[in-house]
Amino acid sequence: MITILNRSVLAAFILLFASTTLSLFAEPKANGKAANTSSTAASSDSYMGLSGEELWSNNCLRCHNIRPPTMYSNAQWDVIVHHMRLRANITGQEQRAIIEFLKSAK
Amino acid sequence: MKIHRCFLAALIQAAFLTISSTAAHAQEPTTDGYVTRKEYEDLKAQMLAMRKELEALKKEKGEVSKQERLESHAVADVQKQVAPKQQTAESQVTGDMHKEVVPEAAPSLAELEASLLGTTKFLLAGWAEGMYEQRNGQVSTFSASFNPIFLWELTPKILFDGRLEIEPSGGGTNVNLVNAQISYLLNDYIAFGVGEFFSPSNVFVERFEPQWINKLPDRPLGVYHGVLPNISVGAQVRGGFPIGPTRADYAFYVSNGPTLNTFDARTAGTLDFNSYTDNNDNKAVGGRVGFLPIPGVEVGYGFETSKPGFQGTTFADLQALVQSVDLEITRDSDLLKGRINLFAQYAWSKVDHAVYDPDGSLGFGPLPLTAKRDGGYAEIAYRPTKLDIDFLRNLEMIFRWDHLSADPSGLGDPSETRWTLGLNYWLSPSTVVKAAYEWDKPNGERNRNALFFQTAMGF
Repeated sequence: MITILNRSVLAAFILLFASTTLSLFAEPKANGKAANTSSTAASSDSYMGLSGEELWSNNCLRCHNIRPPTMYSNAQWDVIVHHMRLRANITGQEQRAIIEFLKSAK
Repeated sequence: MKIHRCFLAALIQAAFLTISSTAAHAQEPTTDGYVTRKEYEDLKAQMLAMRKELEALKKEKGEVSKQERLESHAVADVQKQVAPKQQTAESQVTGDMHKEVVPEAAPSLAELEASLLGTTKFLLAGWAEGMYEQRNGQVSTFSASFNPIFLWELTPKILFDGRLEIEPSGGGTNVNLVNAQISYLLNDYIAFGVGEFFSPSNVFVERFEPQWINKLPDRPLGVYHGVLPNISVGAQVRGGFPIGPTRADYAFYVSNGPTLNTFDARTAGTLDFNSYTDNNDNKAVGGRVGFLPIPGVEVGYGFETSKPGFQGTTFADLQALVQSVDLEITRDSDLLKGRINLFAQYAWSKVDHAVYDPDGSLGFGPLPLTAKRDGGYAEIAYRPTKLDIDFLRNLEMIFRWDHLSADPSGLGDPSETRWTLGLNYWLSPSTVVKAAYEWDKPNGERNRNALFFQTAMGF
């Protein structure tokens, strides 16, 4: 009985997981572009068609909440983004675009 | 007439005496306020010497003053650049003079700030957390930990990152070195790292482990239970690169390998990834390749191959292979009025067939088996970030399924499946209060359901 219940819950979970994924992809413009429309300090060093703000939002939000640019000094952001470049495997161009945005957004 | 001659003789004598007296005075020092020729010449020579000496002193003094002026101008120039609004006409003039004298000494503001503060950059980051756990069959307990991360950017290409885990335990405090790595950025797409680092194939450990990032109070099964490596000591190369409109990333490493458990029936055939010193000359080789088809979506495949048996034993040539797949999706949805996170990873490990305790000397053999294990998790989180009410916007709901298969010998831990429901409230972007309930039912054992409360802060 418990096994059947577990399998049912697992099936429901997989269904929820898949349906959520599909529904998210059904509205592809909702992600990133929303941030773009509110951008007031877009980076000039865009990459893959994304501004520094979009790269910052997309890459950081993949794992955790984003922290405001004013939270750290320019020198501290240099260290943090360097560290996160290694952790998230972003490219050097993305690193520079994100840092430029963070410093210009203050 | 005689009188005239006498007068003339007296006059001539007087003139002679006068001349002779003058001539005599010219040869001797005088005391009546006049100087002799010799004194005059001496004085003239002394005056010329003093004039030369004075000219030399003036010249020397002029050079010293010039140097002091240059230095003061340089300081004024620095102050002027650091505080440009405080410029005055005088400082402009001195600044111009400075530029004329040393035109190459005109560093940028950033360079000046860097030179004032030093060129290396240090940051103490990390997190702290406190938790209450009440698990069925165990004593309820509070726990806490402080996890400082030391980041030291020696140059824009060289970074040291190290993390400690400090937590109270028993009557004292445990301090563990979690990782310590020196990395070097070779170019935009390649970075090298040497030291103790998070195993790239274990995405949870590398990205989601900090408790202000991990959305639930505890960690999923399979991550720290011998299916996946978590910490590696060795060297790695990693980076990312674009592929048209998409992006890929990679990380490959060579490290000390895991240790094969052979002395206990319950754990026979399992891999111990917490042994950071190697037990043979063979090194583990592993890595992970990720692909990001669109921003916010990543799929990955990871692996590690090694020879985990002790050198010189019958297990020395056994091959172990760990493989995993992972998925990370983060999307802002207008339809759902918020943000959705989907995280999932599943891993399989296999060790070649072997006979454990072949002569029965350990009391459980012979035990022949091909050790296979698997485990992983899937997690969905939703936060209504697009709602107008602050309280609701700061709430986040999480649901996780995680599973770990039984120990391969069949004599150890049974398979275990858990379901966890959590509710978080975010006090700041990196400070969270969590509450969660976990349904935990190991196969064939009584439940270990648990209630958690946790607060975590990242800094």
